[in-house]
Amino acid sequence: MNDLSKNSRAAPGTPPLVLLKGIAKYFPGVVANEDVDLEVMPGEIHALLGENGAGKSTLMNILTGIYRADAGEIIIDGYRVDFSSPLDAIAAGIGMVHQHFKLVQAFTVAENIHLGWQETPWRASTRKLEARTAELARSFNLPVRPDAFVSELSTGEQQRVEILRVLARKARALILDEPTAVLTPAEARELFKALHAFRDGGNSVIFISHKLEEVLEISDRITILRGGRRVATERAADCNPRMLARLMVGRDIVLSDMRRRPKGAAPVTAEPVLRLEGVSAMANDGSTTLSNITLGVHGGEILGIAGVAGNGQRELSHVLAGLLAPSSGRILIDGTPVERFDPARFAALGIGHIPEDRLASGLAPALSITQNAVLREYGKPPVSQGGLYRPDAAYRLSLEIAKAASVTVPDFSMPIRNLSGGNQQRLVARREMRIARKALVAAYPSRGLDVGAINIMLKYIAELRDQGAGIIFISEDLEELISLSDRIAVLYEGKIMGVVENRDIDMDEIGLLMGGRQRAMVAA
Amino acid sequence: MVEWRLQRLPSAGTGAALGARIAAVLLALGVAAVALVLAGQNPFALAAQVIRATFGSTFGLEDLGLLLIPLLLTGLSVAVGQQIGVWNIGAEGQFYIGAFAAAAVGLFLPGSAALILPLMFVAGAVGGMFWILVPTLARAYAGVNELITTLLLNFVAALLVYYVATGPWRERGGVSNSATARIPAEIPEFWGLVHWGLPAGVLMALGFAALLAYSRWGYEVRFAGSNAKAARYAGMPVRRHLVTVMLLSGMIAGIGGMLEIAGTVHRLQGGISNNFGYLGIMVAVLARNSCLGVIASAAFMAVILNAGIVLQTQGLTSATVLAITGLILFLTAVGDEVSHYRIVRGKV
Repeated sequence: MNDLSKNSRAAPGTPPLVLLKGIAKYFPGVVANEDVDLEVMPGEIHALLGENGAGKSTLMNILTGIYRADAGEIIIDGYRVDFSSPLDAIAAGIGMVHQHFKLVQAFTVAENIHLGWQETPWRASTRKLEARTAELARSFNLPVRPDAFVSELSTGEQQRVEILRVLARKARALILDEPTAVLTPAEARELFKALHAFRDGGNSVIFISHKLEEVLEISDRITILRGGRRVATERAADCNPRMLARLMVGRDIVLSDMRRRPKGAAPVTAEPVLRLEGVSAMANDGSTTLSNITLGVHGGEILGIAGVAGNGQRELSHVLAGLLAPSSGRILIDGTPVERFDPARFAALGIGHIPEDRLASGLAPALSITQNAVLREYGKPPVSQGGLYRPDAAYRLSLEIAKAASVTVPDFSMPIRNLSGGNQQRLVARREMRIARKALVAAYPSRGLDVGAINIMLKYIAELRDQGAGIIFISEDLEELISLSDRIAVLYEGKIMGVVENRDIDMDEIGLLMGGRQRAMVAA
Repeated sequence: MVEWRLQRLPSAGTGAALGARIAAVLLALGVAAVALVLAGQNPFALAAQVIRATFGSTFGLEDLGLLLIPLLLTGLSVAVGQQIGVWNIGAEGQFYIGAFAAAAVGLFLPGSAALILPLMFVAGAVGGMFWILVPTLARAYAGVNELITTLLLNFVAALLVYYVATGPWRERGGVSNSATARIPAEIPEFWGLVHWGLPAGVLMALGFAALLAYSRWGYEVRFAGSNAKAARYAGMPVRRHLVTVMLLSGMIAGIGGMLEIAGTVHRLQGGISNNFGYLGIMVAVLARNSCLGVIASAAFMAVILNAGIVLQTQGLTSATVLAITGLILFLTAVGDEVSHYRIVRGKV
């Protein structure tokens, strides 16, 4: 702890903006934090790295006054403080942007900025609030549209509003919880630029993440938590991804090459199990999002789809799963052209689909775990016979799926939203793999998961491949794509730019394909 | 130092939920009692009076049974709509039109009761479905919010019934000028004044509960109601289910109107729905949209309404009665939320 401050850009003798000493927090049966130290200097971006459940959120909840620590002290600018509510933390200049935004969708940007703020004028007209918001946006260099309703904004814009909301309250230490999880690469670059500007003004940023690459890119120093304790604090310049991953999970688990088949694995079939021929598709607004795609995946093979998000991945996965009818071209399952574009029909033919937004379109969050687990098999025995639905058989099936997914469920009748995101994703993956006799369309299956959980997810997919299914694996993470895929197709503006065999893979070439320009590599 | 804290649970335990509801009713009655004392009334005497008049006499129990039937049907109508995420605010109007259509058959078709009653039943069911048809199609094909459309049609239905009952269908030379003649076909009674509509209503509630829990259709409906996007992802015919469920919801309310006409009132008159459609929303909310729960909450609501009638005979204004009713419902809603919390003891 003693030699940490010498790396900071603050003048010698400046006390840390935030200093946490020996913080501990216990929940019934769980040590959320114990003996955690954290030092954040003015003018520093400090990353907090750790797996899901490593205690990052608890620690930040203590710093922002939501929880009270069971032991330890919080020292701001050299003075010991005692936060009894989030208001105290805000008054001390600590502001947090949560992963799930806390904005009122039906209010305008200006209204959201001024909501619950002491400096909001008593007689506040719409015009006055919008003028104040525009002024704030200018002074912090965070362009927002004051009169736009939050519900109309993209996630990136909503995040800017959240940040502006925090900065307007004179925050000097900005805490961001997984800020890039919801952003496109372009939006993430914008965010990083804004964070650098904020830091250069002598402020601090605490950046919570489990993405190694971006932590290395953005931060000055990195503190790694594991099992509620601090394992290390290092200068980012001294770190590399492999070492960070090891510190994070406590073992060496950097993504291995998963292309090698174990003995007894199903061979790659001669004919593709799922094939698109000259397929084009339109988005809801009538714009073409897929144009003339010809692509096939063979049984026992993993076809990776690389590309920057928003280049037609969603439509591609929807077409492959029968959710979206192509405007031209044909789809063949096992060599037979599909006549009817009905996802239930595709499922019955053996096509599984892990959707990119599992909570919004793969699950009914308010329904029970059982009801969600049987979503793909409720229509056939044993869960239903004729028109009859059998809750006991459904329960047994969900038990089986939860077991395969290694998810411990205390109560199968509780709403599935009570499970963590990682467990939800594992259940969805196992549910889809059960029906994916021919092929699995996996859209960003590891999004939002930590390193350990990503490895499990990729292992599941490799297992399915070895059982003989063809897998279409859509991801933005090149490292993950390369470690798993046999071939990689690159999607750019709805077109397949090329298909590369993994054995003669050339990162630069993929990068070029992904954007047609060298710069696209950065975005990957 | 020991500190007491509140902890929110993801789902409330059954015992806690029940306890919170009982506490809510007692608390509401307590508040009402204080208000009555301030108004110079004796709450205990009134309570004794209410209990005596409601449960202490055949007459009171019969009234209770007759109130229960329409509440059961309208509550079930709203609860069924909620299965697919639809707020049928129009049970009131569908109830009116069900009564209207049943009355038309009963008044103008000749025949024995054995022939006419089934025809009235069908007419009531079709009438209710017809009244929700436009909101259904607007919601299913144009995404028009059903809250507004179903609500507005209530007024049309109420005024239509008012018009025919005081105009063209009015009983000439009858005792009142605002009702039709007595409809000859009547649902037989099985206990005092209480007719077979009550078992029929309970049976429908049981039937829908079973259909939702033990049929493929029920699973699909509940899934589509909870997350339509995920239902489409799994290939469920979401729009078809939406249309079916909304029509069923209208049908149930229409049958409620028919039972009221053929079993209880026997004449079509203005205001025949008596706010049962709106009270049905309360019944469904109290039952948390469970079809079985509707039976209990409709009975609870019937007791409250009946008590209200008794209180009015004791000189309390209808506004006071309404306020007490509202208080009970309000505190029940608060109790439902409170039952999600438990108090834990922790060291600081």
